[in-house]
Amino acid sequence: MPVISDIRLNLKKNDILRREGFRGYTRIRPEIKNIVLELLESADSAHLLEPTTAYEIYPVTGMDPDKVLLEGDAVVSGSLIPSTFPEAKELAAIVCTIGPGLEKQVTEYSQGGETLRAMLLDGIGSAAVDTLVIEVCHCIANEASSRGLQAGSPVNPGMPGLTITEQGNLLGLARAGDIGVNLTSSGIMVPRKSTSLILALGPKMETWTQADVCARCNLRDTCPYTVLHS
Amino acid sequence: MAKDLCKTLADLKEDEVLAIVQEKLNAGADPMGILADASRAMEIVGNRFSKSEYFIPDLVYSGEILKKINELVKPKLTEEVGTKKGGKVIIGTVAGDIHDIGKDIVVFMLDVNGFDVIDLGVDVPAQKFVDKIKETSAPVVGLSGFLTLAYDSMKQTIEAIKAAGLRDNTKVMIGGGQMSDEIKKYTGADAFGKDAMVGVSLAREWTGTK
Ligand code: B12
Ligand code: SF4
Repeated sequence: MPVISDIRLNLKKNDILRREGFRGYTRIRPEIKNIVLELLESADSAHLLEPTTAYEIYPVTGMDPDKVLLEGDAVVSGSLIPSTFPEAKELAAIVCTIGPGLEKQVTEYSQGGETLRAMLLDGIGSAAVDTLVIEVCHCIANEASSRGLQAGSPVNPGMPGLTITEQGNLLGLARAGDIGVNLTSSGIMVPRKSTSLILALGPKMETWTQADVCARCNLRDTCPYTVLHS
Repeated sequence: MAKDLCKTLADLKEDEVLAIVQEKLNAGADPMGILADASRAMEIVGNRFSKSEYFIPDLVYSGEILKKINELVKPKLTEEVGTKKGGKVIIGTVAGDIHDIGKDIVVFMLDVNGFDVIDLGVDVPAQKFVDKIKETSAPVVGLSGFLTLAYDSMKQTIEAIKAAGLRDNTKVMIGGGQMSDEIKKYTGADAFGKDAMVGVSLAREWTGTK
Protein backbone atom coordinates (compact mmCIF):
# COMPACT_ATOMS: atom_id res chain seq x y z
CA MET A 1 0.00 0.00 0.00
CA PRO A 2 1.39 3.42 -0.88
CA VAL A 3 2.49 5.61 1.99
CA ILE A 4 4.28 8.83 1.06
CA SER A 5 5.89 10.81 3.82
CA ASP A 6 8.62 12.90 2.23
CA ILE A 7 6.29 15.41 0.63
CA ARG A 8 7.54 18.98 0.20
CA LEU A 9 4.69 21.39 0.52
CA ASN A 10 4.73 24.46 -1.63
CA LEU A 11 2.51 26.71 0.49
CA LYS A 12 1.24 29.73 -1.45
CA LYS A 13 0.58 33.11 0.12
CA ASN A 14 -3.01 33.38 -1.11
CA ASP A 15 -3.88 29.89 0.11
CA ILE A 16 -2.62 30.77 3.57
CA LEU A 17 -4.43 34.11 3.68
CA ARG A 18 -7.63 32.41 2.57
CA ARG A 19 -7.35 29.91 5.43
CA GLU A 20 -6.68 32.76 7.85
CA GLY A 21 -10.10 34.10 6.93
CA PHE A 22 -9.07 37.07 4.79
CA ARG A 23 -11.82 37.29 2.24
CA GLY A 24 -10.46 38.75 -0.99
CA TYR A 25 -6.94 38.49 0.53
CA THR A 26 -6.59 42.26 0.78
CA ARG A 27 -6.29 44.65 3.68
CA ILE A 28 -4.11 42.44 5.86
CA ARG A 29 -2.62 44.70 8.50
CA PRO A 30 1.18 44.62 8.96
CA GLU A 31 0.97 43.50 12.61
CA ILE A 32 -0.92 40.37 11.56
CA LYS A 33 1.20 39.77 8.47
CA ASN A 34 4.35 39.80 10.60
CA ILE A 35 2.94 37.18 12.95
CA VAL A 36 1.97 34.96 9.99
CA LEU A 37 5.49 35.22 8.55
CA GLU A 38 7.04 34.46 11.92
CA LEU A 39 4.76 31.46 12.45
CA LEU A 40 5.56 30.12 9.00
CA GLU A 41 9.23 30.27 9.82
CA SER A 42 8.77 28.56 13.17
CA ALA A 43 6.54 25.86 11.62
CA ASP A 44 9.46 25.10 9.35
CA SER A 45 12.25 25.26 11.92
CA ALA A 46 10.34 23.34 14.59
CA HIS A 47 9.15 20.74 12.03
CA LEU A 48 5.51 21.28 12.89
CA LEU A 49 4.41 20.05 9.47
CA GLU A 50 4.83 16.35 8.73
CA PRO A 51 2.80 15.88 5.57
CA THR A 52 2.02 12.20 5.07
CA THR A 53 -0.50 10.30 3.02
CA ALA A 54 -1.77 6.75 2.73
CA TYR A 55 -3.86 5.66 -0.22
CA GLU A 56 -5.04 2.56 -1.98
CA ILE A 57 -6.48 2.22 -5.48
CA TYR A 58 -9.42 -0.15 -5.98
CA PRO A 59 -10.81 -1.29 -9.35
CA VAL A 60 -14.57 -0.62 -9.63
CA THR A 61 -16.51 -3.86 -10.16
CA GLY A 62 -20.02 -2.41 -10.26
CA MET A 63 -22.09 0.68 -9.69
CA ASP A 64 -25.63 1.18 -8.35
CA PRO A 65 -27.33 4.59 -8.02
CA ASP A 66 -26.49 4.59 -4.31
CA LYS A 67 -23.20 2.71 -4.09
CA VAL A 68 -19.96 1.72 -5.80
CA LEU A 69 -18.74 -1.86 -5.60
CA LEU A 70 -15.01 -2.35 -5.44
CA GLU A 71 -12.68 -5.31 -5.90
CA GLY A 72 -12.26 -7.32 -2.72
CA ASP A 73 -15.95 -6.96 -1.72
CA ALA A 74 -15.50 -3.38 -0.60
CA VAL A 75 -18.34 -0.87 -1.03
CA VAL A 76 -18.54 2.92 -0.94
CA SER A 77 -22.10 3.95 -0.10
CA GLY A 78 -23.79 7.14 -1.28
CA SER A 79 -25.02 8.58 -4.55
CA LEU A 80 -22.29 11.19 -5.04
CA ILE A 81 -19.79 9.02 -6.93
CA PRO A 82 -22.31 7.12 -9.11
CA SER A 83 -24.01 10.38 -10.10
CA THR A 84 -20.87 12.45 -10.64
CA PHE A 85 -18.44 9.87 -11.96
CA PRO A 86 -20.56 7.16 -13.62
CA GLU A 87 -17.62 6.14 -15.82
CA ALA A 88 -15.15 5.62 -12.97
CA LYS A 89 -12.99 2.52 -13.46
CA GLU A 90 -11.02 2.86 -10.22
CA LEU A 91 -11.38 4.70 -6.92
CA ALA A 92 -8.44 5.95 -4.88
CA ALA A 93 -9.22 5.99 -1.14
CA ILE A 94 -6.92 8.61 0.37
CA VAL A 95 -6.09 9.94 3.83
CA CYS A 96 -3.77 12.91 4.29
CA THR A 97 -2.41 14.33 7.52
CA ILE A 98 0.13 16.91 8.62
CA GLY A 99 0.62 14.99 11.88
CA PRO A 100 0.06 16.08 15.48
CA GLY A 101 2.88 18.67 15.86
CA LEU A 102 1.16 21.82 14.66
CA GLU A 103 -2.02 21.01 16.53
CA LYS A 104 -0.04 20.61 19.76
CA GLN A 105 1.56 24.01 19.29
CA VAL A 106 -1.85 25.58 18.55
CA THR A 107 -3.17 24.16 21.83
CA GLU A 108 -0.16 25.54 23.68
CA TYR A 109 -0.71 29.02 22.26
CA SER A 110 -4.38 28.80 23.01
CA GLN A 111 -3.88 27.70 26.60
CA GLY A 112 -1.25 30.40 27.05
CA GLY A 113 -3.84 33.02 26.09
CA GLU A 114 -2.25 33.72 22.69
CA THR A 115 -5.47 33.37 20.74
CA LEU A 116 -4.41 35.27 17.63
CA ARG A 117 -1.25 33.19 17.24
CA ALA A 118 -3.20 29.99 17.85
CA MET A 119 -5.71 30.93 15.20
CA LEU A 120 -3.18 32.04 12.63
CA LEU A 121 -1.08 28.89 13.12
CA ASP A 122 -4.22 26.78 12.81
CA GLY A 123 -4.93 28.53 9.50
CA ILE A 124 -1.43 27.68 8.28
CA GLY A 125 -2.17 24.05 9.20
CA SER A 126 -5.42 24.07 7.24
CA ALA A 127 -3.63 25.59 4.24
CA ALA A 128 -0.99 22.86 4.56
CA VAL A 129 -3.69 20.16 4.49
CA ASP A 130 -5.24 21.80 1.39
CA THR A 131 -1.87 21.93 -0.35
CA LEU A 132 -1.07 18.35 0.62
CA VAL A 133 -4.36 17.17 -0.89
CA ILE A 134 -3.60 18.99 -4.15
CA GLU A 135 -0.11 17.51 -4.35
CA VAL A 136 -1.22 13.96 -3.53
CA CYS A 137 -4.08 14.12 -6.05
CA HIS A 138 -1.66 15.38 -8.65
CA CYS A 139 0.68 12.50 -7.97
CA ILE A 140 -2.11 9.87 -8.19
CA ALA A 141 -3.47 11.53 -11.36
CA ASN A 142 -0.05 11.35 -13.00
CA GLU A 143 0.24 7.69 -12.15
CA ALA A 144 -3.28 7.03 -13.47
CA SER A 145 -2.54 8.77 -16.75
CA SER A 146 0.07 6.11 -17.50
CA ARG A 147 -2.85 3.61 -17.40
CA GLY A 148 -4.83 5.85 -19.74
CA LEU A 149 -7.09 7.16 -16.96
CA GLN A 150 -8.00 10.67 -15.87
CA ALA A 151 -8.65 11.81 -12.31
CA GLY A 152 -11.82 13.65 -11.36
CA SER A 153 -11.85 16.31 -8.67
CA PRO A 154 -11.60 14.90 -5.14
CA VAL A 155 -14.70 14.35 -2.98
CA ASN A 156 -14.89 14.18 0.84
CA PRO A 157 -17.23 12.47 3.24
CA GLY A 158 -19.51 15.29 4.38
CA MET A 159 -20.46 16.32 0.87
CA PRO A 160 -24.07 15.73 -0.19
CA GLY A 161 -24.36 12.12 -1.36
CA LEU A 162 -21.33 10.92 0.58
CA THR A 163 -22.20 11.02 4.24
CA ILE A 164 -19.67 11.69 6.91
CA THR A 165 -20.43 8.27 8.41
CA GLU A 166 -18.59 6.78 5.40
CA GLN A 167 -15.39 8.15 6.89
CA GLY A 168 -14.65 5.00 8.95
CA ASN A 169 -15.02 2.83 5.86
CA LEU A 170 -12.79 5.16 3.87
CA LEU A 171 -10.07 5.16 6.53
CA GLY A 172 -10.09 1.36 6.44
CA LEU A 173 -9.87 1.32 2.63
CA ALA A 174 -6.93 3.74 2.66
CA ARG A 175 -5.29 1.86 5.57
CA ALA A 176 -4.99 5.14 7.42
CA GLY A 177 -3.85 3.37 10.60
CA ASP A 178 -0.47 2.81 8.92
CA ILE A 179 0.20 6.56 9.04
CA GLY A 180 -1.26 6.97 12.51
CA VAL A 181 -4.64 8.40 11.50
CA ASN A 182 -7.50 6.82 13.42
CA LEU A 183 -11.16 7.49 14.08
CA THR A 184 -12.32 8.12 17.63
CA SER A 185 -15.50 6.49 18.92
CA SER A 186 -17.33 9.71 18.14
CA GLY A 187 -16.16 9.60 14.52
CA ILE A 188 -13.36 12.14 14.63
CA MET A 189 -10.06 11.72 12.84
CA VAL A 190 -6.96 12.10 14.96
CA PRO A 191 -4.56 13.82 14.38
CA ARG A 192 -7.18 16.48 13.80
CA LYS A 193 -5.34 18.10 10.93
CA SER A 194 -6.21 15.21 8.66
CA THR A 195 -8.55 14.78 5.77
CA SER A 196 -10.10 11.83 3.97
CA LEU A 197 -11.05 11.84 0.33
CA ILE A 198 -11.84 9.82 -2.75
CA LEU A 199 -10.46 10.35 -6.22
CA ALA A 200 -12.39 8.73 -9.06
CA LEU A 201 -10.26 7.54 -11.99
CA GLY A 202 -11.67 6.79 -15.43
CA PRO A 203 -11.55 7.60 -19.12
CA LYS A 204 -13.30 10.96 -18.81
CA MET A 205 -13.83 12.36 -15.33
CA GLU A 206 -15.54 15.53 -14.24
CA THR A 207 -13.33 18.23 -12.70
CA TRP A 208 -14.04 21.53 -11.04
CA THR A 209 -12.19 24.31 -9.27
CA GLN A 210 -12.53 25.43 -5.66
CA ALA A 211 -14.37 28.49 -6.96
CA ASP A 212 -16.91 26.16 -8.67
CA VAL A 213 -17.37 24.24 -5.40
CA CYS A 214 -17.89 27.49 -3.48
CA ALA A 215 -20.35 28.79 -6.07
CA ARG A 216 -22.57 25.76 -5.36
CA CYS A 217 -22.03 25.66 -1.58
CA ASN A 218 -24.87 26.92 0.59
CA LEU A 219 -22.36 28.46 3.03
CA ARG A 220 -20.82 30.71 0.37
CA ASP A 221 -22.43 33.96 1.54
CA THR A 222 -21.15 33.70 5.08
CA CYS A 223 -18.09 31.44 4.78
CA PRO A 224 -14.89 33.35 5.52
CA TYR A 225 -12.95 31.07 3.16
CA THR A 226 -15.03 31.40 -0.01
CA VAL A 227 -13.08 31.46 -3.26
CA LEU A 228 -14.73 33.67 -5.86
CA HIS A 229 -14.48 33.16 -9.60
CA SER A 230 -11.97 35.67 -10.91
CA MET B 1 -4.48 66.77 23.33
CA ALA B 2 -4.96 63.02 23.66
CA LYS B 3 -6.35 61.31 20.57
CA ASP B 4 -9.78 59.74 20.67
CA LEU B 5 -9.43 56.34 22.34
CA CYS B 6 -12.61 54.93 20.85
CA LYS B 7 -11.65 55.77 17.27
CA THR B 8 -8.03 54.66 17.66
CA LEU B 9 -9.06 51.31 19.11
CA ALA B 10 -11.74 50.82 16.46
CA ASP B 11 -8.99 51.41 13.88
CA LEU B 12 -6.86 48.79 15.69
CA LYS B 13 -3.82 51.02 16.20
CA GLU B 14 -2.37 49.05 19.09
CA ASP B 15 0.65 51.19 20.02
CA GLU B 16 -1.33 54.43 19.87
CA VAL B 17 -4.18 52.93 21.89
CA LEU B 18 -1.89 51.78 24.69
CA ALA B 19 -0.13 55.15 24.74
CA ILE B 20 -3.47 56.98 25.01
CA VAL B 21 -4.63 54.73 27.84
CA GLN B 22 -1.38 55.19 29.73
CA GLU B 23 -1.54 58.97 29.23
CA LYS B 24 -5.13 59.09 30.47
CA LEU B 25 -4.32 56.99 33.53
CA ASN B 26 -1.30 59.16 34.32
CA ALA B 27 -3.55 62.22 34.13
CA GLY B 28 -5.88 60.60 36.66
CA ALA B 29 -8.73 59.78 34.28
CA ASP B 30 -11.57 57.57 35.49
CA PRO B 31 -10.69 53.93 34.63
CA MET B 32 -14.38 53.16 34.11
CA GLY B 33 -14.53 55.91 31.49
CA ILE B 34 -11.63 54.29 29.65
CA LEU B 35 -13.40 50.93 29.69
CA ALA B 36 -16.60 52.55 28.44
CA ASP B 37 -14.71 54.06 25.47
CA ALA B 38 -13.13 50.68 24.80
CA SER B 39 -16.49 49.01 24.89
CA ARG B 40 -17.92 51.47 22.33
CA ALA B 41 -14.89 50.82 20.14
CA MET B 42 -15.51 47.06 20.30
CA GLU B 43 -19.04 47.63 19.08
CA ILE B 44 -17.67 49.49 16.07
CA VAL B 45 -15.21 46.64 15.46
CA GLY B 46 -18.12 44.18 15.61
CA ASN B 47 -20.04 46.24 13.07
CA ARG B 48 -17.09 46.47 10.72
CA PHE B 49 -16.68 42.70 11.02
CA SER B 50 -20.35 42.16 10.16
CA LYS B 51 -19.93 44.36 7.10
CA SER B 52 -16.81 42.38 6.04
CA GLU B 53 -14.63 45.47 6.45
CA TYR B 54 -12.75 43.53 9.12
CA PHE B 55 -11.86 39.85 9.03
CA ILE B 56 -11.60 37.14 11.68
CA PRO B 57 -7.93 37.86 12.56
CA ASP B 58 -8.80 41.58 12.95
CA LEU B 59 -11.59 40.67 15.36
CA VAL B 60 -9.25 38.57 17.47
CA TYR B 61 -6.58 41.26 17.27
CA SER B 62 -9.04 43.83 18.63
CA GLY B 63 -9.70 41.47 21.54
CA GLU B 64 -5.99 41.16 22.26
CA ILE B 65 -5.63 44.95 22.37
CA LEU B 66 -8.63 45.12 24.70
CA LYS B 67 -6.97 42.56 26.95
CA LYS B 68 -3.88 44.79 27.18
CA ILE B 69 -6.05 47.80 28.02
CA ASN B 70 -7.70 45.79 30.78
CA GLU B 71 -4.28 44.91 32.18
CA LEU B 72 -3.28 48.58 32.30
CA VAL B 73 -6.56 49.68 33.83
CA LYS B 74 -7.04 46.84 36.32
CA PRO B 75 -4.66 48.11 39.05
CA LYS B 76 -6.60 51.39 39.12
CA LEU B 77 -9.98 49.76 39.60
CA THR B 78 -11.48 49.09 42.98
CA GLU B 79 -11.44 45.44 43.93
CA GLU B 80 -15.14 45.00 43.40
CA VAL B 81 -15.22 46.47 39.92
CA GLY B 82 -12.00 44.75 38.92
CA THR B 83 -13.32 41.22 39.26
CA LYS B 84 -15.20 39.51 36.47
CA LYS B 85 -18.69 40.89 36.40
CA GLY B 86 -20.28 39.19 33.43
CA GLY B 87 -21.09 35.84 35.05
CA LYS B 88 -20.17 32.29 34.14
CA VAL B 89 -20.52 30.77 30.68
CA ILE B 90 -19.75 27.14 29.86
CA ILE B 91 -18.84 26.49 26.26
CA GLY B 92 -17.60 23.61 24.12
CA THR B 93 -17.65 21.98 20.70
CA VAL B 94 -20.19 19.17 20.94
CA ALA B 95 -19.49 15.43 20.70
CA GLY B 96 -18.47 14.20 17.27
CA ASP B 97 -17.08 17.54 16.10
CA ILE B 98 -13.59 19.01 16.23
CA HIS B 99 -14.08 22.40 14.59
CA ASP B 100 -12.94 24.83 17.25
CA ILE B 101 -11.87 28.06 15.55
CA GLY B 102 -15.34 29.60 15.81
CA LYS B 103 -15.75 28.39 19.39
CA ASP B 104 -12.36 29.76 20.39
CA ILE B 105 -13.29 33.18 19.05
CA VAL B 106 -16.53 33.16 21.04
CA VAL B 107 -14.59 32.11 24.17
CA PHE B 108 -12.14 34.91 23.62
CA MET B 109 -14.73 37.61 22.98
CA LEU B 110 -16.74 36.54 26.05
CA ASP B 111 -13.57 36.60 28.12
CA VAL B 112 -12.48 40.07 27.05
CA ASN B 113 -16.01 41.29 27.67
CA GLY B 114 -15.79 40.29 31.31
CA PHE B 115 -17.36 36.84 31.39
CA ASP B 116 -15.91 33.98 33.36
CA VAL B 117 -15.65 31.40 30.57
CA ILE B 118 -15.27 27.69 31.18
CA ASP B 119 -14.04 26.13 27.93
CA LEU B 120 -14.59 22.37 27.77
CA GLY B 121 -12.70 21.94 24.47
CA VAL B 122 -13.82 19.81 21.54
CA ASP B 123 -15.74 16.55 21.12
CA VAL B 124 -17.41 17.19 24.47
CA PRO B 125 -19.88 14.50 25.61
CA ALA B 126 -23.30 15.68 26.87
CA GLN B 127 -22.58 14.40 30.36
CA LYS B 128 -19.52 16.63 30.66
CA PHE B 129 -21.69 19.71 30.09
CA VAL B 130 -24.16 18.45 32.69
CA ASP B 131 -21.42 17.80 35.24
CA LYS B 132 -19.91 21.26 34.69
CA ILE B 133 -23.27 23.01 35.08
CA LYS B 134 -23.80 21.14 38.37
CA GLU B 135 -20.32 22.04 39.56
CA THR B 136 -20.36 25.73 38.63
CA SER B 137 -24.08 26.68 38.46
CA ALA B 138 -23.26 28.62 35.29
CA PRO B 139 -26.46 30.23 33.96
CA VAL B 140 -25.34 30.21 30.30
CA VAL B 141 -24.14 27.36 28.11
CA GLY B 142 -22.79 27.73 24.57
CA LEU B 143 -22.69 24.78 22.20
CA SER B 144 -20.59 25.01 19.07
CA GLY B 145 -20.49 22.68 16.07
CA PHE B 146 -19.88 22.90 12.33
CA LEU B 147 -20.78 19.43 11.10
CA THR B 148 -24.42 18.71 10.35
CA LEU B 149 -23.99 15.74 12.70
CA ALA B 150 -23.38 18.30 15.45
CA TYR B 151 -27.08 19.27 15.42
CA ASP B 152 -27.90 15.85 16.86
CA SER B 153 -25.20 16.18 19.51
CA MET B 154 -26.54 19.63 20.43
CA LYS B 155 -30.04 18.20 20.74
CA GLN B 156 -28.78 15.31 22.89
CA THR B 157 -26.78 17.68 25.08
CA ILE B 158 -29.79 19.91 25.70
CA GLU B 159 -31.94 16.85 26.43
CA ALA B 160 -29.32 15.65 28.93
CA ILE B 161 -29.35 19.07 30.64
CA LYS B 162 -33.13 18.82 30.84
CA ALA B 163 -33.04 15.24 32.14
CA ALA B 164 -30.67 16.34 34.89
CA GLY B 165 -33.27 18.92 36.01
CA LEU B 166 -30.99 21.85 35.11
CA ARG B 167 -32.70 23.29 32.05
CA ASP B 168 -34.94 25.80 33.85
CA ASN B 169 -31.95 27.65 35.25
CA THR B 170 -29.73 27.35 32.19
CA LYS B 171 -29.95 29.34 28.97
CA VAL B 172 -28.46 27.58 25.98
CA MET B 173 -27.09 29.24 22.86
CA ILE B 174 -25.80 27.39 19.84
CA GLY B 175 -23.53 28.47 17.00
CA GLY B 176 -21.12 27.43 14.26
CA GLY B 177 -21.71 26.50 10.64
CA GLN B 178 -25.13 27.07 9.21
CA MET B 179 -27.56 28.16 11.90
CA SER B 180 -31.23 28.97 11.57
CA ASP B 181 -34.47 29.09 13.51
CA GLU B 182 -35.24 25.54 12.37
CA ILE B 183 -31.97 24.26 13.82
CA LYS B 184 -32.59 26.18 17.01
CA LYS B 185 -36.00 24.56 17.27
CA TYR B 186 -34.65 21.11 16.37
CA THR B 187 -31.97 21.21 19.04
CA GLY B 188 -34.18 22.83 21.69
CA ALA B 189 -31.77 25.75 22.26
CA ASP B 190 -32.92 29.18 23.45
CA ALA B 191 -31.09 31.08 20.74
CA PHE B 192 -28.44 30.83 18.07
CA GLY B 193 -25.59 33.20 17.33
CA LYS B 194 -24.22 33.73 13.87
CA ASP B 195 -21.03 35.22 15.26
CA ALA B 196 -19.09 35.84 18.46
CA MET B 197 -20.57 39.30 18.99
CA VAL B 198 -24.09 37.84 19.03
CA GLY B 199 -22.83 35.30 21.58
CA VAL B 200 -21.64 38.17 23.79
CA SER B 201 -24.96 40.04 23.42
CA LEU B 202 -26.95 36.93 24.32
CA ALA B 203 -24.80 36.22 27.36
CA ARG B 204 -25.19 39.85 28.43
CA GLU B 205 -28.95 39.75 28.01
CA TRP B 206 -29.32 36.47 29.90
CA THR B 207 -27.11 37.46 32.78
CA GLY B 208 -28.40 41.02 32.97
CA THR B 209 -24.93 42.46 32.32
CA LYS B 210 -24.50 45.75 30.53
C1 B12 C 1 -11.59 25.14 8.99
C2 B12 C 1 -12.36 23.89 8.67
C3 B12 C 1 -11.77 22.67 8.97
C4 B12 C 1 -10.43 22.55 9.70
C5 B12 C 1 -10.71 22.62 11.23
C6 B12 C 1 -9.75 23.48 11.98
C7 B12 C 1 -10.21 23.72 13.40
N1 B12 C 1 -9.28 23.80 14.31
O1 B12 C 1 -11.36 23.90 13.70
C8 B12 C 1 -9.97 21.13 9.24
C9 B12 C 1 -9.17 21.27 7.94
C10 B12 C 1 -9.12 20.33 10.24
C11 B12 C 1 -11.32 20.48 8.93
C12 B12 C 1 -11.52 19.13 8.89
C13 B12 C 1 -12.71 18.51 8.53
N2 B12 C 1 -13.85 19.15 8.12
CO1 B12 C 1 -14.06 21.05 8.10
N3 B12 C 1 -14.35 22.86 7.76
C14 B12 C 1 -13.65 23.93 8.05
C15 B12 C 1 -14.37 25.18 7.49
C16 B12 C 1 -13.74 25.54 6.16
C17 B12 C 1 -14.42 26.39 8.38
C18 B12 C 1 -14.96 26.22 9.79
C19 B12 C 1 -14.40 27.33 10.65
O2 B12 C 1 -13.54 27.11 11.49
N4 B12 C 1 -14.79 28.56 10.37
C20 B12 C 1 -14.22 29.74 11.02
C21 B12 C 1 -15.20 30.41 11.93
C22 B12 C 1 -14.51 31.53 12.68
O3 B12 C 1 -16.20 30.94 11.10
P1 B12 C 1 -17.64 31.40 11.59
O4 B12 C 1 -18.67 30.39 11.28
O5 B12 C 1 -17.85 32.76 11.02
O6 B12 C 1 -17.54 31.49 13.18
C23 B12 C 1 -18.47 32.22 13.93
C24 B12 C 1 -19.79 31.50 14.16
O7 B12 C 1 -19.80 30.16 13.73
C25 B12 C 1 -20.04 31.69 15.64
N5 B12 C 1 -19.99 30.52 16.50
C26 B12 C 1 -19.26 29.40 16.46
N6 B12 C 1 -19.51 28.63 17.52
C27 B12 C 1 -20.40 29.27 18.28
C28 B12 C 1 -21.00 28.94 19.49
C29 B12 C 1 -21.93 29.82 20.06
C30 B12 C 1 -22.55 29.46 21.32
C31 B12 C 1 -22.25 31.05 19.40
C32 B12 C 1 -23.23 31.96 19.97
C33 B12 C 1 -21.64 31.38 18.19
C34 B12 C 1 -20.73 30.50 17.65
O8 B12 C 1 -19.03 32.58 16.11
C35 B12 C 1 -17.87 32.41 15.30
C36 B12 C 1 -16.96 33.61 15.43
O9 B12 C 1 -17.56 34.81 15.01
C37 B12 C 1 -15.83 24.62 7.30
C38 B12 C 1 -16.65 25.31 6.25
C39 B12 C 1 -17.39 26.50 6.81
N7 B12 C 1 -17.38 27.56 6.10
O10 B12 C 1 -17.98 26.45 7.85
C40 B12 C 1 -15.54 23.15 7.00
C41 B12 C 1 -16.62 22.11 7.31
C42 B12 C 1 -17.32 22.43 8.61
N8 B12 C 1 -15.85 20.88 7.44
C43 B12 C 1 -16.47 19.84 6.97
C44 B12 C 1 -15.96 18.52 7.00
C45 B12 C 1 -16.83 17.46 6.37
C46 B12 C 1 -14.71 18.22 7.59
C47 B12 C 1 -14.09 16.82 7.64
C48 B12 C 1 -14.99 15.76 8.24
C49 B12 C 1 -13.65 16.53 6.18
C50 B12 C 1 -12.98 15.21 5.94
N9 B12 C 1 -13.74 14.21 5.57
O11 B12 C 1 -11.80 15.11 6.03
C51 B12 C 1 -12.81 17.03 8.50
C52 B12 C 1 -12.90 16.43 9.92
C53 B12 C 1 -11.51 16.25 10.48
C54 B12 C 1 -11.44 15.32 11.65
N10 B12 C 1 -10.33 15.40 12.33
O12 B12 C 1 -12.33 14.54 11.91
C55 B12 C 1 -17.79 20.21 6.34
C56 B12 C 1 -19.01 19.76 7.16
C57 B12 C 1 -20.09 19.23 6.26
C58 B12 C 1 -21.18 18.52 6.99
N11 B12 C 1 -22.13 18.10 6.21
O13 B12 C 1 -21.23 18.35 8.14
C59 B12 C 1 -17.65 21.77 6.15
C60 B12 C 1 -18.96 22.54 6.24
C61 B12 C 1 -17.00 22.00 4.77
C62 B12 C 1 -17.91 21.63 3.60
N12 B12 C 1 -18.50 22.57 2.92
O14 B12 C 1 -18.04 20.48 3.29
N13 B12 C 1 -12.28 21.42 8.69
S1 SF4 D 1 -17.93 28.35 0.60
FE1 SF4 D 1 -18.34 26.20 1.07
S2 SF4 D 1 -16.98 25.08 -0.29
FE2 SF4 D 1 -16.21 27.17 -0.25
S3 SF4 D 1 -14.66 27.19 1.37
FE3 SF4 D 1 -16.60 27.79 2.33
S4 SF4 D 1 -17.45 25.87 3.08
FE4 SF4 D 1 -15.85 25.29 1.64
